[in-house]
Amino acid sequence: MEVQSVLESEKSKFKSTEVEKAIPLEYDLGNLAAFDTNPIDPKSLKKGKENLLKQLTRDNTQLIMNAIFNLPTKSGEDGVFATLPEPVTIIPREKPIPKEKILTRWEKFAKAKGIQKKKRTRFEYDEKTGEYKARYGYDHTKSSDDIPEDWLIEVPRGADPMEDQYEKRANEKKERIESNKKRQKRNQEEAEAVRKNINPREARKQELLNKSIIAKTSTASLGRFDKKLKNEPKIKNQGIKKHHESATGDMNAEKQKTLEILEKTIGKKK
Amino acid sequence: MLRTIKPKNARSKRALKAREPKVEENPKQAIFIRGSSTNQVVNTALSDLCSIKKPYSTMFSKKNVIHPFEDQSSLEFFSQKNDASLFCIGSSSKKRPNNLVFVRMFDYQVLDMIELGIENFKSLHEFKSSKSSIGMKPLFIFNGELFEQREEYKKLKNMLLDFFRDEVAESVNLKGLEYIISVTAEPVANPTDLGKIFFRVYTIQMKKSGTKQPRIELEEMGPSFDFVFRRNRFAGEDVMKEATKIPKEKQAKKVKNVSHNEIGDKMGRIHMKKQNFDTLQTRKMKALKKKFKKDEDDNEGPASKKAKAA
Repeated sequence: MEVQSVLESEKSKFKSTEVEKAIPLEYDLGNLAAFDTNPIDPKSLKKGKENLLKQLTRDNTQLIMNAIFNLPTKSGEDGVFATLPEPVTIIPREKPIPKEKILTRWEKFAKAKGIQKKKRTRFEYDEKTGEYKARYGYDHTKSSDDIPEDWLIEVPRGADPMEDQYEKRANEKKERIESNKKRQKRNQEEAEAVRKNINPREARKQELLNKSIIAKTSTASLGRFDKKLKNEPKIKNQGIKKHHESATGDMNAEKQKTLEILEKTIGKKK
Repeated sequence: MLRTIKPKNARSKRALKAREPKVEENPKQAIFIRGSSTNQVVNTALSDLCSIKKPYSTMFSKKNVIHPFEDQSSLEFFSQKNDASLFCIGSSSKKRPNNLVFVRMFDYQVLDMIELGIENFKSLHEFKSSKSSIGMKPLFIFNGELFEQREEYKKLKNMLLDFFRDEVAESVNLKGLEYIISVTAEPVANPTDLGKIFFRVYTIQMKKSGTKQPRIELEEMGPSFDFVFRRNRFAGEDVMKEATKIPKEKQAKKVKNVSHNEIGDKMGRIHMKKQNFDTLQTRKMKALKKKFKKDEDDNEGPASKKAKAA
């Protein structure tokens, strides 16, 4: 009992932290906000606006603070931190949700296989000097005075001895670059198709078909006598074909036509 | 429209990357602009609001001929150029004296706008009190039932929260709760009327209380506004839907086959494959060994081995 009374007296020294509300507040502690839906008396608002607002806000602040102080806390370097819950109020975003990156064929394959990119370190141990040196760039391990690795290339067994191995190597590299560029282009096209929500295979098919139609217009017969492809769809010629009147035809029809033109040009003026 | 920039070096690349849409967004940047004609009240009001919003705010020093309800093109331009999505435009004319327009953008396009007229204004400097330090997160309190009932009030509540809340924090320093923004809706007699809005800012003082929670005392810090509603333009439903989408990464994952009953017990449902009873391991006994099954098998080890070899 004595402890109780000591506690009571200790408490009564300070002003209370308790506030009574008819309708409890709604909290959105993720945004550090609270919403008080209790009606405000218009008469007392007219009487002493500033005082009422301050008193009302004080009470509500007390309630928010009580709620925040009851949250789980962590003590950090510069004080005690309250862990906030997720915000409740839905607030619009600033920018749309980022679009997912469309994977290239290799990325898809690597993902399926679980292949991960390994990052090479920037520096490597140089055995000559016993120091760590850059792998590339300024002051890197292989300095320019070194003899290049391929100062001599062995001619492979069975190869033409007169063949230039250096040229062969250069050509191979060129081809590799070329084919890689092709793949890159294909990846871009496929990504474009996926973005448009089309099956990339279908898109490629359509493109080839369009190209074949264009190619057909290069012949005088608009491809009528060309060799047919397998499963080629029947496509009407899109070009406008001009029909020429025969030189020796119906005289009356020709006369009629010419008169019509005359009527159009002269007849309007009246 | 701004020209699209292709980054030429790593620095500009990084800067552009910071502007890209993200799952966890940057705190919204606000721009405070003086319209074609302003007065002292509007100017101080803008600079006061700007100083509350610091460090995520910029005050434009020159006047700009902007009429947000007529033409939004310059706002769109400023938004792209400065990577800002909040605007506060102040103006004062005969028709609409002491006018503030709060504008929100989504994807560099105007999302919604609320126009408020200032009736009673007291600046930050008129209050001789301690001010909160820069960059502190404010507390918010919205008083009045109207904030739950009327569309205009709801939108204003959302707008003000968005405007001043800065970044979304996971945790907050209890000492850093320095000030509170209090917005009160004046009660209205007629349900179609729009009452005044009292916007007040107070600094918080924490006193000893003998309990875990401190006793709170307030001191008005300013600025203080009495707002009246004027024009507004709210976002279309589809745009708002797009803007409030929650990214996949942040959506709570659905836990399959686990439920909780009324008492709070966790219930799980297990899906089993069809069991093969032929290979089921039962009690081991010497008599059941395969070795003893076949009589013709004699000294050359278990039958299974022999069958394989054959």
